[in-house]
Amino acid sequence: MEDIHVDETLDCRGLSCPMPMLKLKKTLGKLESGKVLQMMGTDPGTKNDIEKNVSKEGFEFLGFREDDGFTNYYIKKG
Amino acid sequence: MSQERNEFWELVKTGYRRVFIEEWSAMTGGVAVGILSVLSFTWARPWGVVGGLRVWGDWLFHAVGLYDKAPSSAWTDTNSLITLGLIWGALAASMLARQFALRMPPRLEIFKALVGGTLLGIGSALAGGCNVGGFYSSVSALSLSGFAMMAGLLAGAWVGLKYLYWEMEHLSPGPTLTLPSGGGLGATRPWLGWALLLGGLFLFWRYQVNGYAVEGGVVLCGMGFGFILSRSRLCFARAFREPFMTGEAKTTQVVIISLVISVLGFAILKWAGLRNEISYVAPNFGLGGLVGGFVFGIGMLMTGGCGSGTAWRAAEGQIKLILALVVFALTNSLSKAVINTSSELQSLVGFRIYLPDLLGYGWAVAAVLFVLGVWYLLAAWNERTERFVAQM
Repeated sequence: MEDIHVDETLDCRGLSCPMPMLKLKKTLGKLESGKVLQMMGTDPGTKNDIEKNVSKEGFEFLGFREDDGFTNYYIKKG
Repeated sequence: MSQERNEFWELVKTGYRRVFIEEWSAMTGGVAVGILSVLSFTWARPWGVVGGLRVWGDWLFHAVGLYDKAPSSAWTDTNSLITLGLIWGALAASMLARQFALRMPPRLEIFKALVGGTLLGIGSALAGGCNVGGFYSSVSALSLSGFAMMAGLLAGAWVGLKYLYWEMEHLSPGPTLTLPSGGGLGATRPWLGWALLLGGLFLFWRYQVNGYAVEGGVVLCGMGFGFILSRSRLCFARAFREPFMTGEAKTTQVVIISLVISVLGFAILKWAGLRNEISYVAPNFGLGGLVGGFVFGIGMLMTGGCGSGTAWRAAEGQIKLILALVVFALTNSLSKAVINTSSELQSLVGFRIYLPDLLGYGWAVAAVLFVLGVWYLLAAWNERTERFVAQM
């Protein structure tokens, strides 16, 4: 987790369902192949939503890391 | 011997983690809600959410002098108690899972909470209930008004989603105020969750010794709903929204399976004469159910929660949902008061159709299961083909 190179970030802190997933879907749609997105969120449901949905869309969920009052999620475009 | 004892305690720890900390599957939540819906009706009454919020709103407007007549007591009215229980149970669940935290939304989300909460309040007044009383318990009760609201909810969810797409292109969320505590209040205090659960049992005992065992049991049923919904994050807004947003069918199918359990349970209780046939058969089949469902559906997308979803998410500390819940309660109280003042409005809202009166019990249950089955298959087909997915 430490050596992930982040290419783009998406700040969804304070947003509740469904806005984080909508914004993620839009951002991932524009992401170039092989690039990594870091998404910051505070909604407790986001982790499971990402795990369930991003692999179906052809992305790879690299993992998450807790920060000060929010969570960082890392997703790679295949 | 000590090895065996260790293994036993390992099992206890694993069980604790699965029940109180790890997220339950949506299917576990849906089946549990279906069973509890039947148990709640067997004990005293069907599940509902907005009725309780309205009692609280009525009391506020009575206190400020807007309503002359005092509403029924919030401490004995079962509408009030089942909703109080839901919020209580969800709060306990979020504390135990260390998920409770005050989360401040950006400025635009606060505006959406106010508008969305208002739409939830007006929509549920027109439809004779929210997604729970107007749809879930209504369909379970074999009332045709539940299907009118369902049609409205589907249309409203689609329009609401189109609004969210538009909003992402044209509006900025605005700044987020930061809470001084970092929003972590209660995040490291699971013992508060245990205190709340034990407090609920104490409340039941107090009701029971004072001759109000039924009311006390209704609080426990509400707590059960809140606990299950919070642990499984089961949300009706998602069931109506997701087929249009991502094509995902799972939550829709979970709600349908939950409804099948509830429909069968309600039908047995009513057919056997154990419960009042007309219970939760609202006179809202017609414009009230359709338009109310439509307005409520848009409100669900703006707030990010249905009636039950707004309540359990508010209980995990989401400021947006807390605001939406308050506005939902107040606007439902006002809308219902307006409808009650006019007989023309009441007749416009619709009329009561109890399916067994038209078809007999056997065919009524078969017809309801048929419609739910078609909905299930359409959701599965849409997941494969994305036929109904609204493009961003």
